[in-house]
Amino acid sequence: MIKLTVNELPVEVELGSTVLEAVQKAGFNVPTLCYHPKLVPYGACRLCLVEVEGARTLQPSCTVPATEGMKVHTDTEKTKAARHFVLSMLFSERNHFCMYCQATDGDCDLQQAAYNEGMNHWPITPAYKPYYVDTSHPDFILDNNRCIICRRCVRTCSELVGNHTLGIEERGSANILVADGNVPLGESTCISCGNCVQVCPTGALFDRRSMYQGRETDLTHTKSVCMDCSVGCYRVVKTRDNRLVRVDGDMDATFADSLLCEKGRYEPVKENRLRVTQPLIRRDGEFLPIDWDHALNVVSTQLKAHDSNEIRAFISGRQSIENLSAFQNFFKENYNIGQTALFGHDESAAVSVELAREFGPFESNLSALAEADAAIILGADLIKDFQVAGFMLKRKLSDEFNLVMVTKEHNKLADNFTNRLVTVGENYEQIVDLLACYKAGGVCPETDQIIESEGLKAHRAYRLLESIPSWQHPVVIIGKEFAKVENLEALKKLVRYSQEVGAKVIILKGDTNSFAAALLDLQLNPDVGSSPVAFYALGDGHACHHALEGLKNSGFKIVQTSYMDEFAEQADVILPCKIWAEEEGHYLTTDGRIELNRQALVPGEHQRSVSAVLADLSEKSGFSLQTDWLAVLTEKISSIVLA
Amino acid sequence: MAKPKVASDWLAGCAGCHMSFLDMDERIIELTKLVDLRATPITDLKEPDKEGVDVGILEGGIANSYNEEVAIRMRERCKILVALGDCAVFGGVPAMRNFFGAEEALKRAYIETESTDESGKIPDDPELAVSQHVRPVSDVVKVDVFLPGCAPSADAIFHVLAELAQGRMPEVNDLTNDWH
Repeated sequence: MIKLTVNELPVEVELGSTVLEAVQKAGFNVPTLCYHPKLVPYGACRLCLVEVEGARTLQPSCTVPATEGMKVHTDTEKTKAARHFVLSMLFSERNHFCMYCQATDGDCDLQQAAYNEGMNHWPITPAYKPYYVDTSHPDFILDNNRCIICRRCVRTCSELVGNHTLGIEERGSANILVADGNVPLGESTCISCGNCVQVCPTGALFDRRSMYQGRETDLTHTKSVCMDCSVGCYRVVKTRDNRLVRVDGDMDATFADSLLCEKGRYEPVKENRLRVTQPLIRRDGEFLPIDWDHALNVVSTQLKAHDSNEIRAFISGRQSIENLSAFQNFFKENYNIGQTALFGHDESAAVSVELAREFGPFESNLSALAEADAAIILGADLIKDFQVAGFMLKRKLSDEFNLVMVTKEHNKLADNFTNRLVTVGENYEQIVDLLACYKAGGVCPETDQIIESEGLKAHRAYRLLESIPSWQHPVVIIGKEFAKVENLEALKKLVRYSQEVGAKVIILKGDTNSFAAALLDLQLNPDVGSSPVAFYALGDGHACHHALEGLKNSGFKIVQTSYMDEFAEQADVILPCKIWAEEEGHYLTTDGRIELNRQALVPGEHQRSVSAVLADLSEKSGFSLQTDWLAVLTEKISSIVLA
Repeated sequence: MAKPKVASDWLAGCAGCHMSFLDMDERIIELTKLVDLRATPITDLKEPDKEGVDVGILEGGIANSYNEEVAIRMRERCKILVALGDCAVFGGVPAMRNFFGAEEALKRAYIETESTDESGKIPDDPELAVSQHVRPVSDVVKVDVFLPGCAPSADAIFHVLAELAQGRMPEVNDLTNDWH
């Protein structure tokens, strides 16, 4: 620990802390602009200058390390004058007129800093030089006129996301923010994760859909978990007057540095399908509105009129654990239907369950990616899917990371690293053999044979193999292409190898809640063929074309859905469903965290959850629906994921 | 002690700050007990007294030679000058044209608007004021009190005037400092 004083007050901080951290720990506030708690301190804006006794000049508190016996002063005439000067210079450049910016009154760190300094005018008149405005991106706008070159966005793009799209061009007052060395954002390598927009301290990068729709304080913030994939990032759902305005990463969370990907941030606000607002029944090719009681009677009659082998029931992986559990309980226990299933084509969660039978708890937490210095990725596309997990690898420095990867198609992640062993195809087992065989003590006879058959460059392959003993924190990431029941023996070989070399294993599991579905014994990769009665609890998801074909060929079609789309149009009865933001429910992440999605919006009068509908149907058939799932699930998770 | 004399005028602004002044409602009556309200754009007397006033208030930025003249005259005739609103303090909305110039703005307004036919022309009567680069009032004359806001709230204006009327220099920060 290091002892120092801030404004005469003694404070102790850990070795390696900055002066800013010491100041904050002592309970004082120093204004900052370029500093962001998730980023490496940069010292660009000079707003956080403090006086350190004995130092020749004022020091930027965000970058200066706290040292023993240091005497720091934050609020002297000198620091105040410096802050005033820094702000005066910032306002003298570009266009910082607050009255025509949407990031005003609490949403702009620059304006707030000026308020805090008691500035009521600009001592230096602006230069009125126009800068480039980039409106080519579908999700956000870049207005260089409002940029203060703090580089928070650039640093987020490279340090956290690892995409390296944003950069600063030109020098001095001509500095501008550009993508890919100056191409329009909309045509650049930008992956639209929007993390740069969230960290922008001014209105230089701003969201197209939510601009001028209210300040942060006008919006209702609901902390929640993302259910657009199974990574389970923490997000804040921002609403106003029961309308979804914006989705942001939860900056209070530590998981994955509060990042979101395009899917988690923008999919929810892009939704534009027509909502189903009341139960509908097909009569002479037209949908007629009916009341819930009527609709449930029709459904109940159909279910009773058929044998259990004539009924098939499917539920979407986007549904909460509560709904999945009610669904399984209702159809399996009440109707004894063998195939209650999640529609999707991803067996990875089932594979996890199978592997745990042999190995006991063997999977690691996703945070293992943060410290990893080597990754063996088999059958997972971390550029397209599970993007935030991908960010944690993409941002690694090339010469500090080792990559073994087999993917069905060429994957751009490979381009980031030089020490790599990458093949395109599905010979996962071959590569497992190659690694396992090398580990077993030098080179085994098959090594050269595998290198040749995989078309690998021998010197590269050997360089990687030879680096294996130096790996400190290797992780093995298994994706859906490899994680199939048919590959179980090869997977076992891989897990055995991982345990021998101390690599952490992560199996990325399909849809949002497919892990929970697997633990509740729902079938993960069902045959979605036709049946006399088909019940689809689709909710707010999108059905795949297999499901659509199956539905088309089925007899009586019952669909509970939030939206009127191609799938719903096939139904005989449509039951209106709540969407993700309208009901509270739990989600099980791919690494075994049970997280709560909180309700942010109030649904329409007739929109109901899957479990509420099943509870009513149970009542009609005299069945008592079991809703207890937590204890069973918690136990099952601990048998698969390491504590 | 005689009531302090207050005069106001508007330059390149939208009159919104004066509207906000009127928004203080019945407090205007309280205010007139404290001050002698002289020339304003919304009273009969249009020019500040030649003998001078105690407080001069200017709304709007300096966008042309006439604005400049009015600002200089107000400064000469008042002891304390208040810059009222974002345009007077920063340049504000009129200053947007600084990014492309007065010439372009005039062309757009008088010739290129969708409702203008081919007879459109930029007025060039020699009696007219000459357009300039838009400046805040403080770039032309010394300003003593800055009250930003678009518009400043009636409460903020009342606070500033009530303080001045009672012989104190108003503090414009925290509650009254609002740049939007």
